[in-house]
Amino acid sequence: MRALTEIHLEEVKSIVKTGRVLTKESDRFSYSFDGSFGTFLPDAVIQTKSVEELAALVRLANRELIPLYPRGQATSLSGGPLPVKGGLVLDLSVMDHVLEVHEEDLVAVVSPGVLTADIHRAAEERGLMYPPDPSSSHVSTIGGNLAENSGGPKGLKYGVTKDYVIGLEVITPEGEIIKTGGRTVKNVTGYDLTKLIVGSEGTLGIITKAVLKLIPKPKASTTMMAIFDSLADAGKAISNMLTAGILPSKMELMDQASIIAVEQFEPLGLPVDAAALILIELDGHPAALQEEADEAAALCQSVGAREVRMPKNKSEEAELWKARKLVSPAIVRIKPTKISEDATVPRSKIPDMCKRLEKIREEYGIHLVVFGHAGDGNLHPNIICDKNDTEEMKRVEQAVEEIFKAAVELGGTLSGEHGIGLMKAPFMEMELGAAGLDMMKRIKAAWDPNNIMNPGKIFPEPGQKLELS
Amino acid sequence: MLAEELKQQLIEVVGEANVQDNKASLLVYSYDATPQFQSIPDAVVAPRNTDEVAEVLKLCNEHHIPVVPRGSGTNLSAGTTPVEGGIVLLFKHMQDIIEIDEENLTVTVQPGLITLDLINAVEAKGLFYPPDPSSMKISTIGGNLNENSGGLRGLKYGVTRDYVMGLEVVLPNGDIIRTGGKLAKDVAGYDLTRLFVGSEGTLGVITEATLKLVPMPESKKTILALYEDIEAAAEAVSSIIAHRIIPTTLEFLDQPTLKVVEEYAQIGLPTDIEAVLLIEQDGPQEVVDRDIEKIAALCRDNQAIRVDVAKSELEADALRTARRTALSALARLKPTTILEDATVPRSKIAEMVRAINDIAREYKVDICTFGHAGDGNLHPTCLTDVRNKEEIHRVEQAFESIFHKAVELGGTITGEHGVGAMKSPYLHLKLGDEGIAAMKGIKQAFDPNNIMNPGKIFAKSERKRVVVHA
Repeated sequence: MRALTEIHLEEVKSIVKTGRVLTKESDRFSYSFDGSFGTFLPDAVIQTKSVEELAALVRLANRELIPLYPRGQATSLSGGPLPVKGGLVLDLSVMDHVLEVHEEDLVAVVSPGVLTADIHRAAEERGLMYPPDPSSSHVSTIGGNLAENSGGPKGLKYGVTKDYVIGLEVITPEGEIIKTGGRTVKNVTGYDLTKLIVGSEGTLGIITKAVLKLIPKPKASTTMMAIFDSLADAGKAISNMLTAGILPSKMELMDQASIIAVEQFEPLGLPVDAAALILIELDGHPAALQEEADEAAALCQSVGAREVRMPKNKSEEAELWKARKLVSPAIVRIKPTKISEDATVPRSKIPDMCKRLEKIREEYGIHLVVFGHAGDGNLHPNIICDKNDTEEMKRVEQAVEEIFKAAVELGGTLSGEHGIGLMKAPFMEMELGAAGLDMMKRIKAAWDPNNIMNPGKIFPEPGQKLELS
Repeated sequence: MLAEELKQQLIEVVGEANVQDNKASLLVYSYDATPQFQSIPDAVVAPRNTDEVAEVLKLCNEHHIPVVPRGSGTNLSAGTTPVEGGIVLLFKHMQDIIEIDEENLTVTVQPGLITLDLINAVEAKGLFYPPDPSSMKISTIGGNLNENSGGLRGLKYGVTRDYVMGLEVVLPNGDIIRTGGKLAKDVAGYDLTRLFVGSEGTLGVITEATLKLVPMPESKKTILALYEDIEAAAEAVSSIIAHRIIPTTLEFLDQPTLKVVEEYAQIGLPTDIEAVLLIEQDGPQEVVDRDIEKIAALCRDNQAIRVDVAKSELEADALRTARRTALSALARLKPTTILEDATVPRSKIAEMVRAINDIAREYKVDICTFGHAGDGNLHPTCLTDVRNKEEIHRVEQAFESIFHKAVELGGTITGEHGVGAMKSPYLHLKLGDEGIAAMKGIKQAFDPNNIMNPGKIFAKSERKRVVVHA
């Protein structure tokens, strides 16, 4: 890896004719952090809408071994866009100029800088839906979602970003522009590069356009809240629901710690003495919905829910969802630093994982809150701490490591939707084994022999450890 | 022939009964369902478990012997023919359902399991595995995984790849890796699971798969819409989708196909009309009733001369079965049947059907068209005779034109059958040289000695023809 020289910078400027090259320290500083930890100053930041200019930059970087860091709105929670080795940050959020909906093919064609929420809106205006809905969708770019394979509450029924990508335009690490997939829902022409690139965290190329699959928007939805005296019962309700053939569009869990935090933040009348609650949203055709809702409520009661609240109208419904939305702002009031994990386990292991988390909380004396997309096993154990307290942060590091271990031991994964990035790289071998990790490295080396694309991510460096302090 | 020493080593691994190299065995495994790609292997090996697969691959990698994994050989793109000799790998000892996990809604299976046996086993527990390739009665799940098979329910439910959550794979060097797991969400590193699915046996050997199941739909209904005009039928397909209805199945059969299918299946299909659409919807009763009513109305709006609703599940099943037999029925007519699966964006169906008819006329060849109209995946099928050199030449030209047209309409050269040896000369049409280079980079990374199913996906030479080759 080389640092950017004055000569390089001149060449960069001569390539970027239609965009901007930012080199002032104040500008570069804005690109030195994301939604996770650490700050790393890039040598320069590029903003351009031109795919050809980007491809030319990649060729230059590949020739001169300059690291490249594609970046959307940097809401990443795993350090994905951090320019850990300097070099150039490519600010793709400026590529927000393509957002087409093709109704007959049920696809949308988008450029990477388009906000996820704008895609939701464009689809809904036509009675269609783009289901992936990461919690950050009002600020996140689709390019970031693609690179990280973002999930969201609707993942249970509708799947994640990857399930909706059928074609890509990509600049390879050697500066070639290739197209993968297309506009057909079926396509087996060679290897599935589309799904390989989605979720590759910017390490295999730069996505410059994507074809997304849309589906008809469900005609109606309904919400309920089930309240439990035991976390294990809540876990049972979740797995029984799915076994019974009910597939909610969302199923979100809040444990007692998060219920209390929200209630203290803004009194909503939540049951602070309950061990857990589940928020359930069902969607579909109005003709079938009520019956399904009754069935879901009965099921919750049969496994020991002490109460099931069914809102009478949309505003009461919104009130229920507000509780879930307030968890994050509420818990950061307790302490300034929030470490949001997303270790994921098979659905049936949710009760086991909850128990393990409880033990970890006690053992390390940390403030651990559990909430998240319980229906798909993607819990979000959040640790609330203070990053200025070095002693506490040491315990937090150990606790995080224990959480990863617990997830992998239960047949789960380090990350359900946030990505590996910088933070989780040290634990990759634990989950994948040496041979599995080696295969991924070989793919990386085949495409990016000079390791210029987002270096320092996914693959751990020798001796790399989780560092939060 | 294999060197005697290697043969002995293989016998040590899998046992004498599981290494065959007599002429009869070699002949049986020299071809698949694709005409004109017969090629004799050097041996047929049937390992009994994953460790044996790993040992076999290690040996073959060491000696640079090609390995061709094979299920039931129903492949339609010459994906399972040992075009460069070597070992055909059978999975007759690896056919078990390892586990049906009703809590996580998954099933874990070995590759040699027959697709229909899997479907029946999970349905007995009230669960549903949607991918249903027409060959599901004989195809194995391992074959489905390697080809990323589609099927009649693909429109609503997607294809095989959409149901694969985790794999156990033996790499060409004998390493055994596990990808994914029983996880609805998993972003730890690259998605090797999806990369292996559809890789046509060129990256490794899948020895176990964990598949996603969904709850069984409450009810279903089937209708048949009759058309005097092919294009009107195609328009109806677009119209249904445009009205935000996604049926489970939306199949198209033209008159020549109808005639042979009726002759073969004898279930009273109309043979005096130009085309039919076979449409099925599933889900909650109320929704199915409403959707079917709306679909019927849309068909009539688009000039359907009649719309029949199947009166019973028995009748519906007869219709589905008839559709599934289309290929077998067509194959009875002439010595050689060449089935393609060029796929276009849904909105281009009418245009594609028109183009296929024009092309058939231009090259004076018999093309019957049927297929999964709803997802743009048509199966133009040519009835011909490979001994008629002059005609075959025209057939080749016709198919080349069809591929070009599909790509021109924003489609692809194969929707569900795979590239195999048959379509490898056309890969560049869709991917361009850079795209092919990107795929070759992956192949090279996994299989540096090119032992896994060599001669597939990537064209070896400048061979440009579908059918005729040296």
